Amino acid sequence: MEHEQDESTEDSTTENNETEDIDEFEEGETSREVVVPGEVLTEDTKNFLPGRGTIFNKDRTKIISLNIGLKQIQRNYINVIPLRGFYTPRPGDKIIALVTDKNPVKYRCDINSKEEGILKPKNTVKRGKPRGFRDGPPDRHDNSTEKYKIGDILIVKVLSADRLNSPELTTVGKYLGKKRDGLVISIDPPKIPRVIGRSGSMIKMLKNLTKCNIFVTQNGRIWLKGEDITHERLLIDAIKKIEKEAHTVGLTDRMSEYIENEKKKRGIN
Amino acid sequence: MMNIKRVISTIEKNYILSNLKKSERIDGRDLWEYRDWTVKSDVIASAEGSAEVTLGETKVITGLKYEVGTPFPDLPNEGVCTFMAELLPLASPLFERGPPNEQSIELARVVDRGIRHADCVQTKKLCIKEKEAVYILFLDIYVINYSGNLIDASGVSALATLISSRIPEGKWADGNLEWTGKYLTGKTIVNELPLVVTYGKIGDIIFLDPSLPEELVCDGKISISVTEDKITSIQKSGYATFSIEEIEMLSKKTMEISSKVKKELNLWQYKHDK
Amino acid sequence: MPLIIKDEYPEKLFREDGKRLDGRDKHELRPIKMEVGILENADGSAYLEWGNNKIYAAVYGPREVHPHHLAKPDRGILRVFYRMATFSVFDRKRPAPGRREKEISMVLTDCLEPVLFLELYPGTSFEVYINVMDADGGTRCACTTVASLALADAGVPMRSLVTAVAMGKIDGELITDLSGIEDKAGEADLPCAMTWFNEEMSLLQFDGKMDLEEFSKCLTLAKDALTKIHAIQLDTLKKKYIEIQEEHKGGENE
Repeated sequence: MEHEQDESTEDSTTENNETEDIDEFEEGETSREVVVPGEVLTEDTKNFLPGRGTIFNKDRTKIISLNIGLKQIQRNYINVIPLRGFYTPRPGDKIIALVTDKNPVKYRCDINSKEEGILKPKNTVKRGKPRGFRDGPPDRHDNSTEKYKIGDILIVKVLSADRLNSPELTTVGKYLGKKRDGLVISIDPPKIPRVIGRSGSMIKMLKNLTKCNIFVTQNGRIWLKGEDITHERLLIDAIKKIEKEAHTVGLTDRMSEYIENEKKKRGIN
Repeated sequence: MMNIKRVISTIEKNYILSNLKKSERIDGRDLWEYRDWTVKSDVIASAEGSAEVTLGETKVITGLKYEVGTPFPDLPNEGVCTFMAELLPLASPLFERGPPNEQSIELARVVDRGIRHADCVQTKKLCIKEKEAVYILFLDIYVINYSGNLIDASGVSALATLISSRIPEGKWADGNLEWTGKYLTGKTIVNELPLVVTYGKIGDIIFLDPSLPEELVCDGKISISVTEDKITSIQKSGYATFSIEEIEMLSKKTMEISSKVKKELNLWQYKHDK
Repeated sequence: MPLIIKDEYPEKLFREDGKRLDGRDKHELRPIKMEVGILENADGSAYLEWGNNKIYAAVYGPREVHPHHLAKPDRGILRVFYRMATFSVFDRKRPAPGRREKEISMVLTDCLEPVLFLELYPGTSFEVYINVMDADGGTRCACTTVASLALADAGVPMRSLVTAVAMGKIDGELITDLSGIEDKAGEADLPCAMTWFNEEMSLLQFDGKMDLEEFSKCLTLAKDALTKIHAIQLDTLKKKYIEIQEEHKGGENE
């Protein structure tokens, strides 16, 4: 019988910052100017180069935006930070996966991207140290798909993702594994860095003020669990507000003010 | 909630159920509360009647077109009112393109039955010439955004469409169909106002107007259509079972809820006078 | 049996005062209203009212291709599904997709593809669903215009937007933005669309009679109209975000 214990431990706010230290919305000289596909960002092609989300025009006399986003200048690169977009898996990403199917040799997972993620049994158990007498019975799951069921929510890391194969996932690692309770919401993936904030400032504030545990992941999915549903609702409303106002200034302060006001209005603390 | 795919996560289902047990719904409503309604009539210029209805985030647009045709042999002096529903792929990634599937057929039929058995549409007034020419009314329901409870939203949109219709009035003159210059309106066409009310059930708990996550995890649903004082149609779906006490309780509740909603929406305001 | 009121076309398409039947000048556009992000379940969406045209567009993608055999190993594919509601036209349209809808779906696909970078998404598809709820002339042009907004709203990288308009000739005069009656009763109809990154036409069809001078003039007039409509598209995309920024402008100085 499996232990009835959450594999993936709760407190992971600091975890989110390992790979995503940068809140792109506050980086460099993000001008807050909203640009759209086809818009000319500059004609000064001597001094600037196209960066993220931008391209030269045919005769290389202009730099054009490819997305709806915020214009940003970083050294001599012009970037567009997209305000809308879809998730593309990259190795190292921590994401939330939903097991949608399994057969004896692998699990198939929905990871909110164009392809399903594959989780192989060998990536669901720890390996390494030889097991001594006191370590207990060996984990039999490393060659079968009995550990997880269809419908399970897993915090996973992307092991590999290339053009030819489906992304491969693992639940082995700190903070990874199955979640037994709480809930998962989705937001637009480009807004995720804003929910984390510079050096985790936004997520720390959300956690402290709403007294909820939160795990923000790269594929736009956020796991949360609070004291009760009223706290959870408040957190969800706050996250939706961040999503909507991601491109504005002064957001972190405005959010803490919003949460304090809402707590009073809703009669919670 | 999480982006909708075919499989619902176990923790989501548990979350919804454990909160329902404490009479808490994720959107803060109580068990017998509807989400917000909006109704707009005359939204489609090309149709003889139309209505756009939203219930929470669910949005449907219904339009009415008429044709003149020969009546059914066993109902020679009655017009025909026929319903169709399409679950547009743009309404949800769960809806695939292609011919109407079970879900859309069920939707059209449930709305149809609730209206038909209430004698809502005055089919005898839709006769131009007995045995020769009657109106055939096509009510086509398009789901524009799916966020739970398509049945109730479609029911109200069908009613608003019928009430707000203006159909050219025809007369039979020497074997030819001619226009009288006037129109048939909702006053003539619509008699009763039946309302369909849908409940979801998860575990032992029953609640009104399932939102999208509730509908995706529920064990079953039941839709009850009523007029002022009569039940006109019922449809139960899903594998949940309902006790006789529950069914009686829901029938009674439906009368109360229907009365309240009809008053709030005041659908007769959408009729044209001529 | 025929309908009670017939769909008849007037003899003259200009009024006594020189205006068109709906009161417009020769090169005046009908009122156009656009919105993006109105359907939360799709990856991107847009809604357009153009005269009496009312059209919803939604994008899903990149996603797996169904059926699999249509997938291309070296690039993504774009699929456009244009459908009209039964009640969107005077004579009720049968619900099943007809030949015209299939033809227009193909034309729209060819029209939108040049702005996309399909080679970046091998083995996947982008699906654009366009539903015309009410139609009144220039429908395929309105669909192009709203579909390109939906693609931008989905965060799909694009070289530029695509804008379209239906030009035409009625009672011997060149006009901009044909309405339904003008389309049916007029002498020529020229729907066209422009991709702005290279300022070239990605949709061009013509039915009717025009001499070379008229045709050339018509294309010039089209460019004027397209520029105006493109400005509305750009404003629609930005407005959503700018309005929120304006609301919270105070934050900057606090």
